[in-house]
Amino acid sequence: MQLTPHARAKLAVAALTAALVLGPLGTARAQVAEFETNHSLFHEQPTKTNMTVYSPSGDLEVTPTNALSLRAGWSADVVSGASVAVKAGPTYQNIHTGADVVTTASVHDFRNVAHGGFTFRKDIVSFTGGYSYSIEHDYQSNSFNVSARTEPLEHDTQFELGYAHNFDQVCNRVQTAGNPATLDHALEDSTGCFTSAPTRTTDPISIDTLQASWSQAWTPSFMTQVIYGVQVTDGFQSDPYRTVVIAEGIQAQEHVPNERTRQSVSLKANLYLRPIKAALRLSLRGYDDTWAIQSETGELEFEKYLGESFRVLLRGRVYNQTGAVFWSDDYTGGNAPLGPKGQYWSGDRELSPFWSWLGGVRALYTVTPKHGRLIGIMTRFKVGLSFDVENFTYTQFTLGGVPIGNAYAYFGGLSINALF
Amino acid sequence: MRMSILLAALALAGTASCVTVRPQQRAVLADPVMQFDGESKAEALRVHAIENREGAFGGTGVAGGGCGCN
Repeated sequence: MQLTPHARAKLAVAALTAALVLGPLGTARAQVAEFETNHSLFHEQPTKTNMTVYSPSGDLEVTPTNALSLRAGWSADVVSGASVAVKAGPTYQNIHTGADVVTTASVHDFRNVAHGGFTFRKDIVSFTGGYSYSIEHDYQSNSFNVSARTEPLEHDTQFELGYAHNFDQVCNRVQTAGNPATLDHALEDSTGCFTSAPTRTTDPISIDTLQASWSQAWTPSFMTQVIYGVQVTDGFQSDPYRTVVIAEGIQAQEHVPNERTRQSVSLKANLYLRPIKAALRLSLRGYDDTWAIQSETGELEFEKYLGESFRVLLRGRVYNQTGAVFWSDDYTGGNAPLGPKGQYWSGDRELSPFWSWLGGVRALYTVTPKHGRLIGIMTRFKVGLSFDVENFTYTQFTLGGVPIGNAYAYFGGLSINALF
Repeated sequence: MRMSILLAALALAGTASCVTVRPQQRAVLADPVMQFDGESKAEALRVHAIENREGAFGGTGVAGGGCGCN
């Protein structure tokens, strides 16, 4: 068979590429595959709102050589429930006695995320790259991430630097050109989103995330990790469906600043308690952002082996945050001092001051055959069950002046992992 | 203040360079219960649900996509 010069050139380029990519990997033979599926169920039902989210996921990772791992996976959120659609403050409620100024909207969504990536290892250094694409009725996301990691000093020290960039889009209602934000109307529903419907548009969101970590083994049973993360978000960050009463008879779409810079420092410490064959893990995090939210998080986990294959985890978590500088529960409508609280307004309880506690338990059972393989194919099989309950105490957020006293959220999880 | 933190971190890093856990002593450190990112995929779903109800972020990986804000 005669090849044309062009075909020969293409063949040479392909061969060279294959040699460059596969050449360094040729000597190692790992050939391991790992499959994991996770299923979680989240439910919360505070006053006026409720939300149930089922999240399945499936991930496959293959390691054809010691130097290379390839990953692909899918996850989803199936959302059903209600959320606050119109928010007014307690003073408005006092003026309009008996008026139900807080309404809710039913929410049904199906978020799909597909992702893939690779890790390349050479000596004490590894490089990871990945991409994920997600779509839901009113939101689309393209996200790229890269990271580099090194483990000097006999692997006692680990440094990792990671970066991710999101090109996201959120669906919104077409607003009247030239109008101030005070006249913006909320998105009614997601019908027509990401189509050429004349009443729909998209707003871009750009997210840059940078994270650096240092992990250190100090003794044969004690190690620590310090993580610094910074995230810069630029774009439409409000809830497009929510309106806030900002003046007598005026309801405007929620409106918050387009720019937000967030940073956090985390300190983690793991201690193995040899006499009782258990691990104690402590995690502390401080957070600060340009919306003036500051938060502190403390989490303590205790995980103990019961026999060789069974382990049980108990955990507790406490979280506290201040509210965004522009957040208020008193968007009342009317003249000052009862009028809008300034340039921005939000009815978002996640931006309000609150604290929460969480308690949880997890059980994991791992089967690792000493000889041969399970049913002839698996070198390890692992199944886990978890349950957590979280309680939120909102210090200012109310629904028309009525405090929320039953803000509990429940998480249930099932995990199955097989190594081939 | 920031300079003090930086100097303290550098001092700590310097101390770390003197510490060596020998390979034969690493069995416990390699145990799954001692990993900082143990059961990461299962934990990611839980963290995703929690973070969407809080104003904060951080302490986990950088990868991720989508809003899932409900």
